Amino acid sequence: MLFFLPIFFILYGVTPSKYKNITLLTGSLFFYAYGDLSHLLLLAASIVVNYFLGQHLGVGGKKNRNYKKSKAYKRKRLLLVAAVIGNLCVLAFFKGDETFGTGAALPLGISFYTFQILSYLIDVYRGEIYRDHSFVRLATYITMFPRVASGPIVGYDEVREALKKRKFNAVGLQSGMKVFVLGLAAKVLLADRIGLLWHEAQTTGFISLSTGMTWLAALAYSMQLYFDFHGYSLMAVGLGRMLGFELPENFQMPYMARTVRDFYRRWHITLGRWFCKYVYIPLGGSRKGELRTVVNLLIVWFLTSLWHGVTPNYLIWGGLLWLFIVLERQIERMGIGKRLKVLPHLYLWAVIPVTWICFAITEPEQLGIYLGRMFGLVEGINVRSGDWISALRRYWYLFAMSFVACTPVVKMIYRRWRDAKPAELILVALFWLCVWRITVEGNNPFMYLHF
Amino acid sequence: MSGLRRRTGKWSFLIMLIVCGVFYMVFFDPEKIYAKALEDIYSRTRDKKITEEANLSQEMLAAKKPVEESQRLETAEENGVQGDIQGMDAVQGVVLPDYRDISEVIYTDVEDDYFSDALFIGDSRIVGLFEYGDLEEVSTFYAETGMTIYRLLDTVVAKGDDGDDVTIEDALSDRQFGKIYLMVGINELGTGTTETFLAKYAEVVNRIRELQPDAVIYVQGILKVTSERSAHGDYITNEGIEEKNEGLSQMVDNVRTYYLDVNPVVCDETDGLVRSYTFDGVHLKAQYIPLWKEYLKSHVVENVP
Repeated sequence: MLFFLPIFFILYGVTPSKYKNITLLTGSLFFYAYGDLSHLLLLAASIVVNYFLGQHLGVGGKKNRNYKKSKAYKRKRLLLVAAVIGNLCVLAFFKGDETFGTGAALPLGISFYTFQILSYLIDVYRGEIYRDHSFVRLATYITMFPRVASGPIVGYDEVREALKKRKFNAVGLQSGMKVFVLGLAAKVLLADRIGLLWHEAQTTGFISLSTGMTWLAALAYSMQLYFDFHGYSLMAVGLGRMLGFELPENFQMPYMARTVRDFYRRWHITLGRWFCKYVYIPLGGSRKGELRTVVNLLIVWFLTSLWHGVTPNYLIWGGLLWLFIVLERQIERMGIGKRLKVLPHLYLWAVIPVTWICFAITEPEQLGIYLGRMFGLVEGINVRSGDWISALRRYWYLFAMSFVACTPVVKMIYRRWRDAKPAELILVALFWLCVWRITVEGNNPFMYLHF
Repeated sequence: MSGLRRRTGKWSFLIMLIVCGVFYMVFFDPEKIYAKALEDIYSRTRDKKITEEANLSQEMLAAKKPVEESQRLETAEENGVQGDIQGMDAVQGVVLPDYRDISEVIYTDVEDDYFSDALFIGDSRIVGLFEYGDLEEVSTFYAETGMTIYRLLDTVVAKGDDGDDVTIEDALSDRQFGKIYLMVGINELGTGTTETFLAKYAEVVNRIRELQPDAVIYVQGILKVTSERSAHGDYITNEGIEEKNEGLSQMVDNVRTYYLDVNPVVCDETDGLVRSYTFDGVHLKAQYIPLWKEYLKSHVVENVP
């Protein structure tokens, strides 16, 4: 990264704007090859096939009234269904292979770029966007290196203009850099640090954790996951801005939410949005009565679980969330608890770590032990009673920093001061501090790369 | 002038970033992120190994012990009778033998309070024993994650009254222990060679013996990793551990220093750590730490000459 980024941006800067896409595409493929050479061909094949699918799906006018009854339309619909199933099959094959089969690694970013391709195809089919004749442009859209590995999942319409023409200047470059530094700091200085506690808990073995420790470790994992993924997304947004793109934000302070529903409107927004647009709403959303809504939600959460992985723990995770969301809907309908201020926050901070534990532990037996220890249902073996106090003593400042970073405070400060020289200096210092930490500790890859 | 300022002002952040980066790399950069890459290209043709080997053989000369001892082991095996005579001398308390064969050592079982004058020194594995061996209140632990034999004596274990750092070496000069258990070596697998490691280990053990003339020193073989972890493709391999353990087992004299190897208790048929005993393939889960402790309790030398 330390070599790739500066060299790439110098090359990108000297490329005339007409050919910037080619430089970006080349750079992205290099980046991808560096991360996962063996599946570069798969990515390339996927792009070529889907390019032509997009071309076919984009044919035909909607102006003709009888169009929907015509043969051409039916053929097109069949093609879309085949395309969607085909893409999903590739994804499912690798997901399944990772878990049940040979245990081969998942192709880098496949969950993300498949969804992005699907959104393009469906949008073209629906006529919401025009097919893109330029292969380079489409390939750039799919492989763009800031986001190929872990999103955000960008709709084609969001970047269409920028793909054709974008500004590459001092303002964008530096503003992007600042966002990038924030993301890097979240990842390196918070996620990786507080993640050590979670690692410690795993090393100790769940059966030997005190109840206090299980909650603390669950909280640490919640923070780790958030700052890891949020940090990654910020870095992607920052790099995107440096290139001249405005990528959508993936997080809106999720831990400030007061309900699980709200949490998932603020967490991994681009994925939630995708499921909403292409699954939930076509199913009828919440317009067809309460029962249908509940069923639709179940379908969405079932698919979300599958997207993350096919092991049972993800189904438990998704199922739990679905359950809480449905319960919240009922409580809301009854009009209870509207005036409560503090309690909903506490509720969220208690529920979310438990769901993340289901997300984190893939072995059902271990998951059972952990949850059992959390609620004191499983007898511990060789438990050290003061372990959580000792952990708190070592990690309290990271918890404190993480809590502050979960609130809007950081964003407010950043918005207010980002162009002031002292703040810039702090960001610069943060950047080199992160570089130092990375070189000292070795690279710790992003957690969401596995999905 | 103002034009220049306006132009640089526009780029202020980037300029700051680069200036700061240059500063960082010149004065600080511990890993030489860019410099190393340049040096690599530069020195690819040059063979640095010659100088390294020269240093190494010098170190070996300085601490000849392991070599001498392995020779002595051979002679002891050849002349079993001679060994017996030496042993008898020791029992009579006339002279301490300077070497005994391992077969002469008799082990006994003890209770936890045996460890009340014990000191444990080591890396993250010993930290595990400290946290989950239920000896926290009984014994003394000078353990630190990431400890290596090279830094062992200089590891800071406390703050002195005057605010100065107290190293293990200082602590050993201040207080006498009855037995000292060592386990280090996993972190150094990637640095130096088995020879440099053993030479340094011998040096450290000698220093500890100097400072603790009455203590029995147990050199513990390095705990293995799972076979899965060993095949990971980095420097942590069971072969490397076995090689070092072999050297360690020959380094002890079985009079003041003894070699203990807990691996048979916690390893499976592939000679790696049992998969279910560990999360990361390297550290024992808390649940299985007692296996190790029980091993230590049943491997206390009885007939210290």
